[in-house]
Amino acid sequence: MGLRGFVCFNNAVFALLPISALADAVVEGRVQLPKSHSAPVMTKRYEIVTHGAVLSTQPPLAVVYLEGSFPKPKSPPTKHVAQKDLAFLPSLLPVQAGTRVEFPNLDDTYHSIFSYSPAKRFDLGRYRPEERPIPSEVFDTSGLVTLRCDIHEHMRGLILVLNTPYFVMTDAEGRFRLRGLPSGQYTLKAWINSKTTQEKPVALKSGETLHVDFP
Amino acid sequence: MSAVAEPNERAVSRFRTRLSAAMMLVVSIMTALGLYLAQRNITTNAERDLQQNFQAELSSLHKLQELRHAALAERCRVLASKPRIHAALEDNALDLLYPSAKDELRDLMEGEEPPSEQAASNLHARFYRFLDNTGTVLPPPNLKDVGILSTAEEVQLAFKKLPDTQQTGYLLRAELGEDVVDEITVVPIFSTETGDLISALVVGFKPFEFAAKSASTGMKSGIWVNGRLNLPSLAKPAQDALAGEITSVVTKGDRAQSNFTVQVSGAPHLMFYKRLNPNSLLPPAYEVCVYPLAGWIAQLHRARWQIGGAGALLLLGGFVASHFVAVRFSKPVEQLAADSEQNRAQRKRAEAALASAAEELQRSTRYSADASHQLKSPVTVLRTGLETLLAHDDFEPEVYEELSALLHQTHRLTGVIDDLLLLSRMDAGHLEIKPEAVNLSQLVEEWLDDLSALPDSPQVKIEKQIPAKLYVAGEKQYTSLIVQNLLENARKYNRPSGRIRVNAQQNAKHVVLNIGNTGRPVPRDAQPHIFDRFHRGGTASAISGHGLGLNLARELARLHGGDIRLVCSENDWTEFKVYFPVAQPATDRTS
Repeated sequence: MGLRGFVCFNNAVFALLPISALADAVVEGRVQLPKSHSAPVMTKRYEIVTHGAVLSTQPPLAVVYLEGSFPKPKSPPTKHVAQKDLAFLPSLLPVQAGTRVEFPNLDDTYHSIFSYSPAKRFDLGRYRPEERPIPSEVFDTSGLVTLRCDIHEHMRGLILVLNTPYFVMTDAEGRFRLRGLPSGQYTLKAWINSKTTQEKPVALKSGETLHVDFP
Repeated sequence: MSAVAEPNERAVSRFRTRLSAAMMLVVSIMTALGLYLAQRNITTNAERDLQQNFQAELSSLHKLQELRHAALAERCRVLASKPRIHAALEDNALDLLYPSAKDELRDLMEGEEPPSEQAASNLHARFYRFLDNTGTVLPPPNLKDVGILSTAEEVQLAFKKLPDTQQTGYLLRAELGEDVVDEITVVPIFSTETGDLISALVVGFKPFEFAAKSASTGMKSGIWVNGRLNLPSLAKPAQDALAGEITSVVTKGDRAQSNFTVQVSGAPHLMFYKRLNPNSLLPPAYEVCVYPLAGWIAQLHRARWQIGGAGALLLLGGFVASHFVAVRFSKPVEQLAADSEQNRAQRKRAEAALASAAEELQRSTRYSADASHQLKSPVTVLRTGLETLLAHDDFEPEVYEELSALLHQTHRLTGVIDDLLLLSRMDAGHLEIKPEAVNLSQLVEEWLDDLSALPDSPQVKIEKQIPAKLYVAGEKQYTSLIVQNLLENARKYNRPSGRIRVNAQQNAKHVVLNIGNTGRPVPRDAQPHIFDRFHRGGTASAISGHGLGLNLARELARLHGGDIRLVCSENDWTEFKVYFPVAQPATDRTS
């Protein structure tokens, strides 16, 4: 752990990068987010909604990531998707493949988290908040995993499993900044919802900051 | 009498019969009408009661059924909204669909079928299947877990297009060689992500059984679907026959519920059918209840017999009453007829008697008239001869005496004949009176003079009190005859040194002449007969007379509108009273 540091910000996770790569390329820009239909949310709580045929967060958020073939981390990080107030928190979690995700129950009731998604099928069964160890799953396959609760049918959460360690969530306005990227020819993708992923080819040069807007 | 009365009796009895028949007819019609109304009333009442009972029973069953149905529907809806099932369908994990459902439907599928009494509260599914979004049945991985159905039966669960609302239907299938009916509930499943109709859950339950609940009333119930009937309490051929009947009715009219009478195994039953799954996309299924009418009909028959018996008694009573009333009514008529018959007979008899009497009288009067005429001429010849002989003067004096006696006799004979002639004319009605004013005073005066002038008149004193110019109405000749007769009698039957009293007075209507004389009175027992013809008051035959005078006088007086009566005849005094009608003033004073 000493060699590898984690920088955690609220809602924005920066992947651990080798120290030598810190001076590498940066991509910043803005993703055109779909218009939110709901009233402004004061608590900034995001949840997964199905609107039409798509799953997305509400208010809309996007995940911007650099597509490419990167080695899996030797020791996978552990992430958390809690159940609080009968909702998943965070409602959308992008992870690199191989990441272990813990599902702590912060409610006073039972939850029964499962997923039938092709990317990851699991069923944690019913458990109480004091369940120890905290039920967790390792997500090895890239893809979108829909989290459901067998007891609370309205609860829905998303875990976006990516093959890349370079990803970032936009803020509510769609702005993003992805740092420490390796130089070279890549494809930059923006996941907006379950049906919409936009991509742009990028040529990254060390020390440079590239500006990319979606679309 | 009997010969005349017979047709009459017949007429009366005919009248009685007709009256009786009319009343019986009225009674019969009234009774028949009453019977008809009563019977119709009883039939409609019974039918209504039966219908009400039937409907009440059915509706209570239907309520239970609906309750259960609602429970089923809710249960299925909850099942269909289970997150795992949704997850399997939505997250492209169809292989997990039936395993997930197995957990969710475990409570429905496991265990034995509950007894039918608990069927309403205890939900037990026989099978379940999922349909994909094209309406085809998703094949289950393990038939045991989902309830065994043949492929053909599974096909029946498929839809051409998934229904977007919950549907109810029935499936008729064979299980272990027995016909089994399943109640099917189809619940649509919408994607929670897209809102699209992605699947449907089909659950088969054991249908709600009426049998146990309606066994007491004999009602049998079953389910008709797709032209087949499942009514296990009926024999198979009866089921098939009934199924055909229902099929024809159901396909003809699209009424959701109705009832009619059918023959089941030769016995009448009331059949009621009701669409079990109205507005369903599944094939129409009907609940069929048959209710045996045999008991009801027997009851109705009994009631009809009772009414009929009562009616017959009523009719009989009516007949008897009408007979009595008819007899009673015809009695006065009968009496009337008899009376009139009697009257007619009496009248006929009287008429006949009258006719014969009249004929007899006619004959006798004619006879006496003829006799008088035949007698008169020889007497005249005799008298003429005697008078001629008297005219001779060469006979012995004794001969003259004898001849004058004979002549006197001829005179007497002539008087008798004249009287007879007059009487017979009166009897024959040939005597006509031409009334005029006759001076009675003068007449009496004249005859009294004549009387005293008679040679053989005894010494009698005559007392006379007659107003002058007393006129009576009559023909003078006959009035004179009356007076003459009475005065002659007064003289004739008087005694020596006797007296005759004659007086007359006029009252409002009559002039009354009283003639009394002394002398031996008429014997009391002879008094009623003194006016009879040829009756001589029981007097000595020495007194001249022929017994016609008083009779003639009275007949004449009556003919004039008057009369003669014997006032008294006793103690040396006999008195007659003669009534003459008063003369009309116009004819007064002419004579």
